[in-house]
Amino acid sequence: MSVWLTIIVAGIATYLTRASFLLLGDRVTLPATVQRALRYVAPAAFAGIAIPAALGSDGIGGSIPPDARILAVALGILVAWRTKSVVACMAVGMVTLWFLQSVGL
Amino acid sequence: MEESSSSYPFDRAAFLQGIRDGIPLAIPAFPFGLVVGFAATQAPISALAGWSTSQIIFAGSAQLVALELFAAGTAGWLIVAAVFMINSRHLMYSAAMKSRIEGAPLWFRVIGGYVLMDQLFAIQDAWTEDPPLRFRIWHWLGCGALFWSQWQVGVLLGLSFGDAIPESWELTFVIPLMFGGLMILSIRNRPGLVAAVVGGTVTIALRGLPAGWGLLIGIIAGVTAGAIAEGRVSDKEATP
Repeated sequence: MSVWLTIIVAGIATYLTRASFLLLGDRVTLPATVQRALRYVAPAAFAGIAIPAALGSDGIGGSIPPDARILAVALGILVAWRTKSVVACMAVGMVTLWFLQSVGL
Repeated sequence: MEESSSSYPFDRAAFLQGIRDGIPLAIPAFPFGLVVGFAATQAPISALAGWSTSQIIFAGSAQLVALELFAAGTAGWLIVAAVFMINSRHLMYSAAMKSRIEGAPLWFRVIGGYVLMDQLFAIQDAWTEDPPLRFRIWHWLGCGALFWSQWQVGVLLGLSFGDAIPESWELTFVIPLMFGGLMILSIRNRPGLVAAVVGGTVTIALRGLPAGWGLLIGIIAGVTAGAIAEGRVSDKEATP
């Protein structure tokens, strides 16, 4: 498969994951129990992305020592919980990380 | 048919609010865009093909993996399969949003589906009570326009200037922090907490599987656990 064909088919595959249920339209309705259950997609998905990333198993920031990254994420999450602010979570987490780096942890 | 596109005329206030609501979540995508752009320069493909992944695939983590696989000389169909699995979580976003845009016209479903990425889903899912459909449509498109434009610029900067930001700053670490914050904000009750704990635990337990599988199964497990927990809670409430 050429580079361009690969990118285009990968793009179509990606589009189908996102548009899939939206394109079904209103003719198909999901059972009420499923609709209610789907309100838990956000906490399940964001935990499934955040927790492995915080532990370093997905490769982002792989050079950060585990103790520093876990402490930074834990403090950020605590702040997010108290303030309901994602920006505060990101700011506190990054400042914590930089502080720990500067003291050599 | 023509009725459908004219019944939701442009709502400037909703569009602008969509942009404003998106800005805090667009900031962390900038360092990540630089990384993806730099990865494109490392892959044995033209800069145009590298940048085109931002319009054609428009999904950061999947783009990064695709570019790394190109660099490793992986066969095209394997790259497509990897991209599909990493993006499979969007199937759950799409399912969750389906009933929240009931009555939306086809043109919106086509465009709205294209921009349904993590941060946009977080914002659109956060309303406990759904806004009027016209507001929803234009707010969604405002968010989408912001995230899309930001991503194009971020990846282009990474392509042009490479890794100009010192790696020791660890700026991409804002990505896990952002998702950690989104996780906390999306936990609105005890069943939500159950969904998060199960979703996170199952995803970690399955981290040995090829990329994307663990998260998809983790989300399904978390959603199921949340629904069961909700059933338990409402049973208790029903008991005098």
